[in-house]
Amino acid sequence: MQYPEPISKLIDSYMKLPGIGAKSAARLAFYTIDMREDDVTDFAKALISAKRDLNYCSVCGNITEEDPCYICKDAGRDRGTILVVEDPKDVISIEKMREYRGLYHVLHGVLSPVEGTGPEDIQIPSLIRRLQSDEVKEVIIATNATAEGEATAMYLSRLIKPAGIKVTRLAHGLAVGSDIEYADEITLMKAVEGRREL
Amino acid sequence: MYLEKMSLLDYRNYATCDVEFSKGVNVFLGENAQGKTNLMEAIYVLAMTRSHRTSNDKELIAWHKEFAKISGRVQKKNTQFPLEILLSSKGKKAKLNHLEQRKLSEYVGHLNVILFAPEDLAIVKGSPSVRRRFIDMEIGQISPIYLHHLANYQHVLKQRNHYLKQLMIGKRDDHTFLEVLTEQLSTHGAHLLKERMSFVKQLEKWAAPIHHEITQAKEVLKISYQPSVEATNWEDVDQIFLDLMTQFEKGKKRELDQGNTLYGPHRDDLLFFVNEQNVQTYGSQGQQRTTALSIKLAEIELIHDEVGEYPILLLDDVLSELDDERQTHLLTAIQDKVQTFLTTTSLDGIKKHVLRQPRTFIVTNGCVELEDK
Ligand SMILES: Nc1ncnc2c1ncn2[C@@H]1O[C@H](COP(=O)(O)OP(=O)(O)OP(=O)(O)O)[C@@H](O)[C@H]1O
Ligand SMILES: [Mg+2]
Ligand SMILES: [Zn+2]
Repeated sequence: MQYPEPISKLIDSYMKLPGIGAKSAARLAFYTIDMREDDVTDFAKALISAKRDLNYCSVCGNITEEDPCYICKDAGRDRGTILVVEDPKDVISIEKMREYRGLYHVLHGVLSPVEGTGPEDIQIPSLIRRLQSDEVKEVIIATNATAEGEATAMYLSRLIKPAGIKVTRLAHGLAVGSDIEYADEITLMKAVEGRREL
Repeated sequence: MYLEKMSLLDYRNYATCDVEFSKGVNVFLGENAQGKTNLMEAIYVLAMTRSHRTSNDKELIAWHKEFAKISGRVQKKNTQFPLEILLSSKGKKAKLNHLEQRKLSEYVGHLNVILFAPEDLAIVKGSPSVRRRFIDMEIGQISPIYLHHLANYQHVLKQRNHYLKQLMIGKRDDHTFLEVLTEQLSTHGAHLLKERMSFVKQLEKWAAPIHHEITQAKEVLKISYQPSVEATNWEDVDQIFLDLMTQFEKGKKRELDQGNTLYGPHRDDLLFFVNEQNVQTYGSQGQQRTTALSIKLAEIELIHDEVGEYPILLLDDVLSELDDERQTHLLTAIQDKVQTFLTTTSLDGIKKHVLRQPRTFIVTNGCVELEDK
């Protein structure tokens, strides 16, 4: 038997999410049609607004409703330090610790010849531009401890160091090969304390 | 250590199967194509998370089934724990003591296994890649950190080869990033080389006397690792790293012309010499076979030396292929210390009197039963 078309479409949409296969998608779809009407409406609205009302900060690349983002605008933060991460989720993990008081830069990816990703394909040029203003004294590179994350960190260090800016790597305390996303807050805190110079 | 029991679910031609093993010798007796090798393979996968016969995990799942499960219980000197491997079209999961292990290096090494099958002659006769795989699998069992460097090395190698190609065709021109990849590759490569050098030394140390004895003092076996780079001190990772970097610097033009990584552990080989002659090229069938046997027996001792316990031994179809002399040698070498699994289509030609109280199982069409006496 075929699913009625609206359900098929919904299953198809759920399957576009990471980690959701055909079976889970079907389960979610049937769950959704049993939900209360206004809950479903809120859900749909939340989806659309997450996409429409959020933008990337033109300075740091973080997701934000207003441009520049609240972190870049915050006069109380240390403008001499920039912490470089792979994606916006990492900013949220680090902000949760409430330890770090500097600024961020989101690369939106890592260098990977296999995937065809070069420096211009991620936010490296915009980082270099930011560093040309003399305020920045230190760059902390917090890309993930994967092979690509390491390579990207080493590459950035080679670009930035000649300009006389201190470059450190935030990796200590993170299990090798792990994603920052999964790291719990204590390991992350250790990681910030024990950052090593590149 | 030994494998106390094993259960299979939808693995190859086994729908379900539960077996309890003897600590000593276990014999799987059955006609061709009944599932003897499948059983050995299952034990191997339980230990190593991958098959020795195929790199395609889907082949291991019974036809028309969604997933397969292998579970077993390992008994060691001071501990015991269950192991479990789940295979599905989406990937595999490995559980140690009920907990899923995300990294290969955290799972492999808890059940040490040495497999000896007719194909193992390829370690002596086959291509260098067979020998590299052999070294990698064996060191990986003893040293989890080796697996970590190996996985990273292979990953970075792929990136570096892609990048060299992009530089070659002029799609990219940033040499700084090539330097980064070279440094990364050399870091992991140096660890691999150091471990391989010391493994091969150990292997020779254990294999030479065994070989000497099997051949009744007629042959002297030597094993030598052939690196694609020269290093001044193979015990010092930092020095190996520098030597690799120097080699990459020297060979830069060649690599850029060919768009490929031409130096490093993925280019190396292992050579076996009997009485100063290369066995691979000049050895007789018998010499090649004896060499393979000496290496396998040496590994048993090597693992015992490194891990503190004997590994389990899987002998697939090899016993009947060995002459009396070699059979007796093999069986006395493992008797009473190594849990052994062996397959055969018939007990004729097997020196049964050397086997002390083997537990015999009859394998018929995906079914294993204890032989009734
Ligand atoms: N994924 C699978 N699903 C079901 N059956 C399979 C699967 N893979 C292999 N088989 C079957 O398993 C059988 C082979 O088993 P195996 O290789 O263990 O035989 P064997 O007992 O070792 O034989 P021999 O003595 O010839 O070596 C074949 O009949 C094959 O069809
Ligand atoms: Mg077989
Ligand atoms: Zn911002």
